[in-house]
Amino acid sequence: MARCVLFLLAKGEIMAASVPRKIWQTLGAIKTGVVLLILVVILSAAGTVILQRPATDPDEMQRSYSPQMLRVLDAMKLTDVFHAWWFVLLLLLVSLSIIAASIQRFPNSWRYYARPYKSPDDNFRKALGTHAAILIPGEDVGFAVADDVLRKNGFKAEHIVRADSVSLFGERHRISEMAVYIVHASLLLIFMGGIVDALYGWSGFLMLTTGETANSFEQRNGKLRVLPFAIRCDGAGQENYTDGTPKKWWSKLAAIEDGREVVRKEIVVNDPLVYRGVRFYQANYGDTGKMATLTLNANPTSGSGESKEIVLGLEGPTQIDADTSVRVAEFIPDYVVGDGRVYARSNQPVNPAVHLVVTSKKSGKDVNVWLPPIPGFEENEAAPYQFENPRLEMAHFTGLQVSHEPGQWAVWGGVILMGLGLAVVFYLVHIRLWAVPVRDAQGQLVLWIGGAANKNKDAFEQRFRKIVEEIEAEVKARREAGAPVPADVLAAN
Amino acid sequence: MARAQVEAQPAATGGGLVVMVGLGVAFLLFMAFLNVVKSGNLLNDSNLLYAALIFYCGAGVLYVAFGVTGIPSYIRFASLATWGGLLANTGAVAHRWYEAGHPPFATIYEMLLSFVWTLAVLTLIAEKKYGVKIIGTVTMPVAIVGVVLMQLLRTEVHPLVPALQSTWLHVHVTLAMLAYAACALSFALAMMFLIKDNIKTETFLGATSLFSIATYLGVLTRFEKWGGLNVVAWDPGRKAEVFLSKGVRLYVVIPDLGWMMLLVLATVTVPFVLYLAWRKTNDEGLINLANRAVFVGILLQVLALVFFILRARDAQYASLDVDGLNATSLAASPFILSGLIGGIFVSLLYLLLLWRREDLERMLPSAEELDRITYRTIAIAFPLLTLMIAAGAYWANRTWGSYWSWDPKETWAAITWLVYAGYLHMRITRGWRGRRAAYFAILGFAVVMFTFFGVTYLLPGLHAYA
Repeated sequence: MARCVLFLLAKGEIMAASVPRKIWQTLGAIKTGVVLLILVVILSAAGTVILQRPATDPDEMQRSYSPQMLRVLDAMKLTDVFHAWWFVLLLLLVSLSIIAASIQRFPNSWRYYARPYKSPDDNFRKALGTHAAILIPGEDVGFAVADDVLRKNGFKAEHIVRADSVSLFGERHRISEMAVYIVHASLLLIFMGGIVDALYGWSGFLMLTTGETANSFEQRNGKLRVLPFAIRCDGAGQENYTDGTPKKWWSKLAAIEDGREVVRKEIVVNDPLVYRGVRFYQANYGDTGKMATLTLNANPTSGSGESKEIVLGLEGPTQIDADTSVRVAEFIPDYVVGDGRVYARSNQPVNPAVHLVVTSKKSGKDVNVWLPPIPGFEENEAAPYQFENPRLEMAHFTGLQVSHEPGQWAVWGGVILMGLGLAVVFYLVHIRLWAVPVRDAQGQLVLWIGGAANKNKDAFEQRFRKIVEEIEAEVKARREAGAPVPADVLAAN
Repeated sequence: MARAQVEAQPAATGGGLVVMVGLGVAFLLFMAFLNVVKSGNLLNDSNLLYAALIFYCGAGVLYVAFGVTGIPSYIRFASLATWGGLLANTGAVAHRWYEAGHPPFATIYEMLLSFVWTLAVLTLIAEKKYGVKIIGTVTMPVAIVGVVLMQLLRTEVHPLVPALQSTWLHVHVTLAMLAYAACALSFALAMMFLIKDNIKTETFLGATSLFSIATYLGVLTRFEKWGGLNVVAWDPGRKAEVFLSKGVRLYVVIPDLGWMMLLVLATVTVPFVLYLAWRKTNDEGLINLANRAVFVGILLQVLALVFFILRARDAQYASLDVDGLNATSLAASPFILSGLIGGIFVSLLYLLLLWRREDLERMLPSAEELDRITYRTIAIAFPLLTLMIAAGAYWANRTWGSYWSWDPKETWAAITWLVYAGYLHMRITRGWRGRRAAYFAILGFAVVMFTFFGVTYLLPGLHAYA
């Protein structure tokens, strides 16, 4: 009975061990990887064909799909594919599949990488496809020549001395065997950066006018984000090409922390301000519909006295002479008159009107001046000054895209690593060459030379033939010259 | 230069055609020269482009002649003509760069200029280094189509809007052009592999008619009620497309052109239906009928192209969205135009294959060799694609504050990358060679084409400039 229980337990344990094992094996299989990739492709393609919530106007969504259709799409999260839980899950599975495949294949490659096969035995020599045999007068001459030629061809040859054999081994670009893991690791690094940004990153939009300071703004998801510092706009502007299209938008920004200005920069479209991991991008520029300054010529109504140029702001009254002051009571960027009132039709300064109040200190009398004169409102004639030649300067806002992407360095690191990895994968070939003196079928002493490459095999074959020919020629030359064998080769043997 | 040598060796085998092409090139260059002397402006990019077009046409004729006859002297002169075209093309690129003050990648015109240049360079490399002499038969007509398109599109330099003033943009677009040209080459090589690998000519018939069907279905997404065809309105004053609001183009309706396109769609569908019937019944008569239908299809496609050019070029039409007439121009519809030309070109290639298959096969390297070179071009294209996406992400990060925003163009670039990644995995770990690998390479290029044309044309997004 006890034995039976024990047996069952043991069986259960094997079962328990084999299910995760099976899952692990399945995850690492190339088939799983391909199926997952196909799913990613199909779903991302769907995400480009179906209108996506974050990028599209809600009205546009309503117009494009019927209500039932929209309900179904929304329920399946097909209107926001790239943020849907199942898409995230899929990317996670892809990552797991890459990890599993890499870990399962890694030990084999590592063995190959860390303990290269240097001393070819009989079986290996028979199995290897690319090989040649060169007749040599003696082992030392063979080694010396092979050593020379390999060195000339960029291989560092080493003498491998085993109990029963001595051989020569040379190789290049062993790292090529590991490159695919570099590429996979870089892809995971990029994914990791993306996940970190999805979890801890944020972005939003901040609108500032010149002189304004702000430390909070609305995030893209509607939440309010308060920064540990404030940002001040010291100026913003637009430069145009001669044909009127915008050439450049710029803003002068300053970051203020604990009442101190800590950093200052003029940003343009492709060059953001970065402070404490928060990036401020020039995203937008435009009219606020408010006036910044109004410059006017003031001529005394009496006709005596000279004309003066005055600059008005929105802040307070400006003195024209000792007695008279003027202030801007209203600024209407696009005015229209109706129902006994002056209305603003839009925020664009296409048809501006300004309401000035001219005050005399002595008499305490206020006069309403409208530019342009609007009948029924203006008392322009009654004012002590007549105003001419108004030059309007509008207040502009600068739109700043604010974002915090703590994971982006992992992404850029991953990209660089991937570039290097791919270069190695495609362009560095692991080449191995072996040379060992053996007796051939006729009992003659020959130098057996074998070679292997992990890719681009046809190009390698040609190279191998060339190396063999060089060795052959050199052996022949030395045999004819009866050249002495170098002492160090003798010693090594 | 090329001309002098052409005339110096009239005795070479098949010299007649070479002399004719040489004289044609000389004549056209001379005529162009007269015009230039009259205008007094020798070196500008449209003149240079015209010279490039003449050379490319000469090269194209000689390459096709080589493909058909296999006379080796043709290829020599074809190469020389390609060199001449490349020289003029380089001049045009350099002039444009100098005039605009930025590398020529900002508008569709400039991108085509760079694409054709890359294609010519790669053709010469494939020919000299890998010995795929016949490659020009496919790439030169593509280059000619590119240059002709450029002649029709706007040519003046536009100042760059602020978002485009970045070195990273130039890096991004350069890499994209290089990668796409490499993909195009791998596609051409894969096709040649299939020819050499004894794929039935009938299968090519099915594939080419499917391509034409897809093209016309794409064009017909612009079909409007009562048989009109929507095209983008063009502002002749500003030389730019008309936008209703950000990212929303204004369309005008060309009456009746939709019916024409529908008719062509029906015609190009016939060979495909006959092909499917042939697969069921194995009746050779059906294939003969289908081949005749292809011929009729080509004629109708040419007619559709002519009608499109006549009616869409500098005319005024009403729009459904705003009152009054709006102008249109060929420059506003580069994708419809290239679709129409591409459809004709593919059908013509099929006819070439149908009539001259044995000659073509004789010209090609062995199937194994083609298979290997296809892989090698993809080994070039894939790292370029990777870097292209990375440079684009970096640029987006500097401009919009986010390195990845799942914009359709971005997503499709990622899909392209995944397809080629799939190809590499199947080839390296599963040992996929030959036919399956060739199909994969073709699929990859189809996705590239969709990313390049389809996304801009059919899907909305941030990449609206290009």
